[in-house]
Amino acid sequence: MQRLLPFLSLIVLFVGLAIASPHFLTETNLSSVVRQTAVINIMSLGMTIIIIAGGIDLSVGAILAMSGVIGAMAMEKGMPIPVGILVGILTGLAWGFVNGILTTRLRIAPFIVTLGTLGIIRGLTLIITNGLPVHGVPQGFSFLGEGNLLGVPFVLWVLVVCALATHVILEHTRLGRYAYAIGSNPDAAVYAGVPVGFDTTTVYALGGMLTGLAGMIEASRLMTGQPAAGNGYELQAIAAVVIGGGSLHGGEGSVVGTLIGAFIMGLLSNGSDLLGVSPYLQQAIIGAVIILAVTVDELRKRRLV
Amino acid sequence: MLLDLSGIQKRFGGVTALRDGNLAVEAGEVHLLLGENGAGKSTLMKIVAGIEQADAGCMRWQGREVSLRAPAEAAAIGIAMVHQESLLAPHLSVAENIFLGREERLSFGWVNRRRMLEKAARLIEEHHFPLHADWRVERLSPPGKQLVEICRAIQHGSSLLIFDEPTASLSGEETQEVFRIVRTLRARQMGVIYITHRLEELRAIGDRVTILRDGATVHTGSLAEIPTDRIIQYMVGREMVAIYQREPLPPGRELLRVEGLTRGVELRDISFSLRAGEIVGLAGLIGAGRTETCRAIFGVDPVDAGKTFVDGREAHIHSPREAVAAGIALVTEDRQKTGLALRLPIAYNVTMANVPEICHFCLLDAPAQSRVTAEYIARLRIRCSSGRQPAGRLSGGNQQKVVIAKWLFRHASVFLFDEPTRGIDVGAKAEVFELMDELARAGAAVLMVSSELQELLQVADRILVMRQGRITGELPGRTTQEEIMRYAALDREVAP
Repeated sequence: MQRLLPFLSLIVLFVGLAIASPHFLTETNLSSVVRQTAVINIMSLGMTIIIIAGGIDLSVGAILAMSGVIGAMAMEKGMPIPVGILVGILTGLAWGFVNGILTTRLRIAPFIVTLGTLGIIRGLTLIITNGLPVHGVPQGFSFLGEGNLLGVPFVLWVLVVCALATHVILEHTRLGRYAYAIGSNPDAAVYAGVPVGFDTTTVYALGGMLTGLAGMIEASRLMTGQPAAGNGYELQAIAAVVIGGGSLHGGEGSVVGTLIGAFIMGLLSNGSDLLGVSPYLQQAIIGAVIILAVTVDELRKRRLV
Repeated sequence: MLLDLSGIQKRFGGVTALRDGNLAVEAGEVHLLLGENGAGKSTLMKIVAGIEQADAGCMRWQGREVSLRAPAEAAAIGIAMVHQESLLAPHLSVAENIFLGREERLSFGWVNRRRMLEKAARLIEEHHFPLHADWRVERLSPPGKQLVEICRAIQHGSSLLIFDEPTASLSGEETQEVFRIVRTLRARQMGVIYITHRLEELRAIGDRVTILRDGATVHTGSLAEIPTDRIIQYMVGREMVAIYQREPLPPGRELLRVEGLTRGVELRDISFSLRAGEIVGLAGLIGAGRTETCRAIFGVDPVDAGKTFVDGREAHIHSPREAVAAGIALVTEDRQKTGLALRLPIAYNVTMANVPEICHFCLLDAPAQSRVTAEYIARLRIRCSSGRQPAGRLSGGNQQKVVIAKWLFRHASVFLFDEPTRGIDVGAKAEVFELMDELARAGAAVLMVSSELQELLQVADRILVMRQGRITGELPGRTTQEEIMRYAALDREVAP
């Protein structure tokens, strides 16, 4: 029942919006939902692995912005589009790696580490850009975020590939198995000879990489590298994971759950736009949804153990 | 009749924890609750304490039927539980803990600290407890902490106290202290329910006994009328095989040798070796350095000096990962904290130390994992619904078997068992001994740390004794408890 709850909420939300707004079921709107949600979705996939491994990353919004900015700058300097995208992705990977190293080497709680790097990355991004958006990206770059392939938004393909890859990593590789073990009981993992430090770092790096990709998609949709992009996205990504059954205690979570969670977040924000709800109120709603989802998770756990 | 439970049933998901729990406790008696792990003792007590709710059955308290929905409701009618792991606030004083949640109040929400201190001091004095009202709880020994919980129960007018294995982690002297306190409570006409796995304790403390097996009460009656082997029969449901005594094997080649292991004052110049086919006991009092020895060998704690040789070659071990790679396994003292990922399935736990073996071309082989898990569940007779069941849902003995399965699947050659039978029942203990014997027969070397001297005498081929961080003696397997204690407790140096 609890496992179905997120899925049912998604359907109820979808049907509710279809009834409430005549603009909801239009092709333009739905494809815009997909495009917007893809960014949150891909970020949330990285967050899923991190949360399963018992961590958390509050710096994803800032990483997203810096990746977009650095990728856009690379293209502005004349690098080919794929190289620019790669630069953005590697920027994300590098910051994820930094987060991983700091949590594992200095043994600081990831909540604090990533709160710190959130500030550092956001600050550096503003310094690099002087607070101004990076324009000068080639026209073709818009294909990543706005193009269609086989009649479907290109980002949807990207999302499907990322989701499949993440699912395979989590359920079918050693790294995924170790992520669950580390998140469920780090001490037991150490005693079992699991390379806890290395794998935790890898997990953060993977999360950063996916966030870097999300940053390039966001930049492509805006056709600029925005230093202020991704503000508050960490909240949405964490919410998506938790709504999808991930546990902030670690050791629990799934790709399918996160996808459902991210689409719920996407529909909430799209629906609020359609129904004329203030964006400020949207923030508050997201916060409330996180608390609600964690409460459901805690209640479920109390009944189980 | 203080408490009367009849026909209590409780299911967790697909597992029946209690089918027919019956228990009647009078005021002024110490009622022992016995049974193997998984028999349903803890579940029954959680129902009495309001932590769990029964699916069916009737609970009467002082003649009236009650149903408790929360621990606070149990506390309100006078039922208190002394937990295995202390649930106190470590940074507060004894007095503050005694009154925690029920502070003596002045007006405007101010707490009357002086009055609480006075009341706590009077209570402690009245019972001659070795405590001070203003001591900080974190500095107390485990029995001291239990005492605080007991004081708390008395202060709040409890008339039934539940002890869940209070002596599991205590030394002999501390155990005597707990007994003395329990007797004081009995003299005050309180009812005491006492869960224990230490059969040698029974007669020192109990009046009546109730025995559970497979979720049902199988016997209840006066302790004086039932001999200990009858109790064991009721618990395991079969005639106990004659007390297990291992036949030593001719030892093979040396698999582990440590030389001059030293770490601060904890470990001083520890040297010994383990041979294939050998089970070596490591005895000593609490704090003698037995667990520390295991941790040092396994690379958990860094050492100041010392060398480790595995199978004749020097192994440089600085982390558990390197120890595991060298073929060493450590079954820790606290399986919940360092042995298992409780929320993950049994299958994940069994394969955790050897994931590469169930990988094909970087991908996990799910059928292989199921096969391996099923094999170990059958081989170790792990009682569970399936390999997908979370390890945390198993009883203590079965959890221990999962930990052992993990190391069997890692194909380790040197096994360090730190208190392998702690908190597990008679039947499971025998199974753990059999497994250790099997390991030795298959050519592994086994080191077993235990505080139960009887167990060491049954299982070990030879016994090392530690005292204050040193090995003070090496004895043959057929020695006596008295001999071991002489080396463990007496202040004298022994020539090697």
